[in-house]
Amino acid sequence: MDQNIEKQEKTKYSHIFRRFIFLTLICSLVPLLLAGWAINIHYSRFARERMVKTLETRVDYHRKIIELFLKENRAKLDFIASTHSIEFLTKKDHLSQILKSVNRDAWTLTDIGIIDENGDHLAYVGPYDLIDKNYSSTFWFKEVMEKGSYTSDMFMGFRKEPHFVMAVIKNENEKRWILRATVNTDRFCSLVEDLRIGKTGEVYILNSKGIYQTRPGSGGKIMNQAPGFEGQIHDGLKFKTIKILDKDVKTRKIVWETWLKDPKWLLVVRVDEQELFVEVSHANRATLVSLHISALIILIVTILITRHMVSIIKKRDDKVQGMNNQLMQAGKLASIGELSAGVAHEINNPLAIILTEHQLLIETEKARPITDEILGEQFAGSLNQIGKQVHRCAYITKNLMKFARRTRSVIETVNVNLFVREVIDLMEREAKSDGITFNSILDAHLPTILTDPSQLQQVFLNFINNAIDAHEDKGLGLITITTCPAKDKGIIITVEDTGNGIKKDNIGKIFDPFFTTKAPGRGTGLGLSICYSIVKQLGGTIRVESEIGKGTLFCLTFPFKPPDDLMKQG
Amino acid sequence: MIGTKILLVDDEEIFADNMAKLLRLRNYLVTAVYNGETAIKTLEKEKFDVVILDLKMPGMNGIATLKEIKSLGLFTETLLLTGHGSIDAAVEAIRLGAYDFLNKPCDIDDLVEKIEGAGRKKDDAWKKDMEEKLKRVVESPSDAFKLFD
Repeated sequence: MDQNIEKQEKTKYSHIFRRFIFLTLICSLVPLLLAGWAINIHYSRFARERMVKTLETRVDYHRKIIELFLKENRAKLDFIASTHSIEFLTKKDHLSQILKSVNRDAWTLTDIGIIDENGDHLAYVGPYDLIDKNYSSTFWFKEVMEKGSYTSDMFMGFRKEPHFVMAVIKNENEKRWILRATVNTDRFCSLVEDLRIGKTGEVYILNSKGIYQTRPGSGGKIMNQAPGFEGQIHDGLKFKTIKILDKDVKTRKIVWETWLKDPKWLLVVRVDEQELFVEVSHANRATLVSLHISALIILIVTILITRHMVSIIKKRDDKVQGMNNQLMQAGKLASIGELSAGVAHEINNPLAIILTEHQLLIETEKARPITDEILGEQFAGSLNQIGKQVHRCAYITKNLMKFARRTRSVIETVNVNLFVREVIDLMEREAKSDGITFNSILDAHLPTILTDPSQLQQVFLNFINNAIDAHEDKGLGLITITTCPAKDKGIIITVEDTGNGIKKDNIGKIFDPFFTTKAPGRGTGLGLSICYSIVKQLGGTIRVESEIGKGTLFCLTFPFKPPDDLMKQG
Repeated sequence: MIGTKILLVDDEEIFADNMAKLLRLRNYLVTAVYNGETAIKTLEKEKFDVVILDLKMPGMNGIATLKEIKSLGLFTETLLLTGHGSIDAAVEAIRLGAYDFLNKPCDIDDLVEKIEGAGRKKDDAWKKDMEEKLKRVVESPSDAFKLFD
């Protein structure tokens, strides 16, 4: 049963522990984590948006660079055509001179040629042997004849290599001729590629049909069809995020698309999301790590604090339990005291009557003796027994009253050592006949105390009587009485016997009134409860230790002086 | 003392009657009454040497009756019997002028002893009073009628 209670107590406290932790964590961790996560999400979104905005400006700038490059080259052709006559240009070395001067800073144009209305080359400077080619059937020739100026998409042409041409038409003396130049594919491609962002970034150009106009960074060749091309023409920048499966690794790419004006080419800028937002991710990770470390610290601190608090609660509970037990004992004694005083009084009256009747019978018998011998004998025997039993009852009621009564105490200075010796002297003879010897170990430096000697004597006599009775079946025994000072608190007196001991179940009951293990008629069961109430009244304590078959130890403490209320009474 | 007049006051009628019988057997003149009021009335009519009072009675209790008896100014000693064993009440009674007190149930011999003591005390007081009165008579014989009225 004790184990059960212990188990219940344990679960009670672990329940409190869990509840405390649960509530504290809910109140502290949840707001922390929510706020942390929200700030984190908000911050990263903000940072991303900022970054995307910055990059958009850059992409737009790239578009302008490419457009400028194309425009510049067209302008060069326009300039050459408008400032030179066909005669001049077709003369030997003139065209090569012009190409040289155009390419002075950078090798922008691969070749340059003059073509007449029929599509025949009039002059050509370049690394290819194209002077006798006729272009009348090529698409760009038709376009330039129609529009006057044209920039082609990439195509293979007669040289069987990807390239694109720019051509302008000039009217000279009602004769039309075309100035055509090929833009250096490598130069153009590297110009575009150099605009890439970061390590994983790629920049490429698609024509309006989705054909690569420059080398894409990965997974494609110039002049090939780009996968997933939509072909919708839109104004400004188009921003999107796509997922690509590259070598079984899924990567997210951020893509900007913007259309060039002339020709209608699509500039595509792609960059790995991971690379682009690497700082944001770092910052995110740092915040989350510190957030979770904080959470962990809170968790640990919560557990420690809760454990501490639960231990405080447990201590308090134990204290309250102890006080409750004492109060219960005191309350029990007080109510039993009142009850027994009432009962004793009510019983005393009939006892008094019985005693007078008994006396009357004796007196009457004296005056008129019973002649019948047997009747006389019986009569005398019964009367004797009635007298005895009435006195026994009277003894019980007297004890009950003693227990209930709070008599005025006489407080005196008492040398407990002398006192103990006196009591031992008083009891020794009786004890000797039972085969019991006394052993007293009295501290020579025991301080005197203020207490009520008559009540103290009653307590001692009771304990020693009990100690003697405890050896009932043993025959021989030893009663050890010790005294010693209890630091600054008063004195300690122990009464130890080598008797039968008290059963564990009974230890809690020995101070209860009417509790006795003695044979009926041999004890009222009031002795120890009277002792208990006296010791309490004198401000002392009683502790008991007992082992079945080995003996019992009563440890009494008394303060230097009794409680104030008793002092005043005295 | 043979012929001591005793008034026994106890609400337990059987006890009062039995005790009266027992005391009569010892040659006392005993009147038993069962409450305080009757005791006072009886005392007003008749003189008693010793009054034995129960402490706890319905109506007038022992202490109240004792006060009343004392206020009558009689030559009588009071013994208190108590079933309650309350020392406080007993001390109060002695303070009010009772001769002594006994716990119920009491042995008849103990009671007789106390009665004897009370009787002697009453006699001594009476004798002392008489001597004083005689002295005054000798000093001023004209007051004799007043004194022995």
